Amino acid sequence: MLRRVVLSRLYARLGGPAVSAGRGGRRGVASSVPPSGSTSPRALNIFDRELKRKQKNWAARQPEPMKFDYLKEEIGSRIADRVYDIARDFPLALDIGCGRGYIAQHLNKETVGKIFQTDIAEHALKNSIETDIPTVNILADEEFLPFPENTFDLVVSSLSLHWVNDLPRALEQIHYVLKPDGVFVGAMFGGDTLYELRCSLQLAETEREGGFSPHISPFTAVNDLGHLLGRAGFNTLTVDTDEIQVNYPGMFELMEDLKGMGESNCSWNRKALLHRDTMLAAAAVYREMYSNEDGSIPATYQIYHMIGWKYHDSQARPAERGSATVSFGDLARLNDTMSQGKK
Amino acid sequence: MKLLTHNLLSSHVRGVGTRGFPLRLQATEVRINPVEFNPDFVARMIPKVEWAALVQAADTLNLAEVPKEPTEGYEHDETFLRKMHHVLLEVDVLEGTLQCPESGRLFPISRGIPNMLLNDEETET
Repeated sequence: MLRRVVLSRLYARLGGPAVSAGRGGRRGVASSVPPSGSTSPRALNIFDRELKRKQKNWAARQPEPMKFDYLKEEIGSRIADRVYDIARDFPLALDIGCGRGYIAQHLNKETVGKIFQTDIAEHALKNSIETDIPTVNILADEEFLPFPENTFDLVVSSLSLHWVNDLPRALEQIHYVLKPDGVFVGAMFGGDTLYELRCSLQLAETEREGGFSPHISPFTAVNDLGHLLGRAGFNTLTVDTDEIQVNYPGMFELMEDLKGMGESNCSWNRKALLHRDTMLAAAAVYREMYSNEDGSIPATYQIYHMIGWKYHDSQARPAERGSATVSFGDLARLNDTMSQGKK
Repeated sequence: MKLLTHNLLSSHVRGVGTRGFPLRLQATEVRINPVEFNPDFVARMIPKVEWAALVQAADTLNLAEVPKEPTEGYEHDETFLRKMHHVLLEVDVLEGTLQCPESGRLFPISRGIPNMLLNDEETET
């Protein structure tokens, strides 16, 4: 089941480039989840992928792109931590939506032999960060992976799947390219990301323009993510939630950083322009409602972490139903048995 | 783009399915990049490589003869491993195209990066 919520749109500043600062938490999925093994229909087309490519390319070409990388660096290192927690090495790994290589720089040769990095933005690939392990760069879309079946030992993805139109299909593709007993370790923005910015813009638009421009955008809640992974064929799922709070001097600095991250809104139904008056009102609302003691404003990024495995005979499985030799009902008598033994 | 990469790429144009492998390689600029020899990694890649596709790609680039099959006991044959290391990991195609054998679609290789992005009509709906 997919939850629908009313979300405000995020708009470009007057005089700025015609790209609006956006929230990362919103992404679309097909409204009908396909049965296992089939390709899902492309029922929804929420995001303008060509615009997202332009945004990412613009961000990667800035004079100091690393200035806006702090969040992706942090999540990249957390994913690398999770890869290290798995006690094995991975000869071939794949990073989907790698950006400038935020995960690969944290991995080492003892764990990963070679990593294939794919992204839709060629300038991100050309400006990739130096790594310890050999890397291969390929321009490819998260939804259309150009790899044969059973190719990779490990697939990772960090903060890119939230812009995918057809998330069930993307997950099916990841499952397809994994070898049996291969693992997918990923992270994506959750629905509560940037709630402060969303609420402030909503209130300001209502006050200044007599109503906000609502639109319904389905997004995945953390339990739906588990269902999607299961339907894509993954085993032994783990999904958990992290929150990272970053403090900014003001709302405009936050929106500038979102643009520098390449995370501006690219929904098809975005509005190109937002009144300056509304923007100023939103900044005031944000400060009034959410500011910290020291005068800075917090922005919350909710991160879903997920791990899923492709089936293999060697994996642990539940025992057959009815195969138990001891009853749970006997647990209560364990104390008596042990205390009698002591006497 | 290394030949190992070529061996792992397949076309995903609509309607192609598994017939999108191997892609036909045309190279207009090739460079040899020395890479540190890692015998363990090469040995692990040998069984994964689709051998016929590798031989075909090596022929296209006029490389030295690639054996028709991996030699028996290749794990301990350093001469063989060094040769395969060179073919798989040191030969770098900087400019050229990859062609889908089924649909004829050309994917450009620019500055060593294959562009596998599809047009809207080529994606499945």
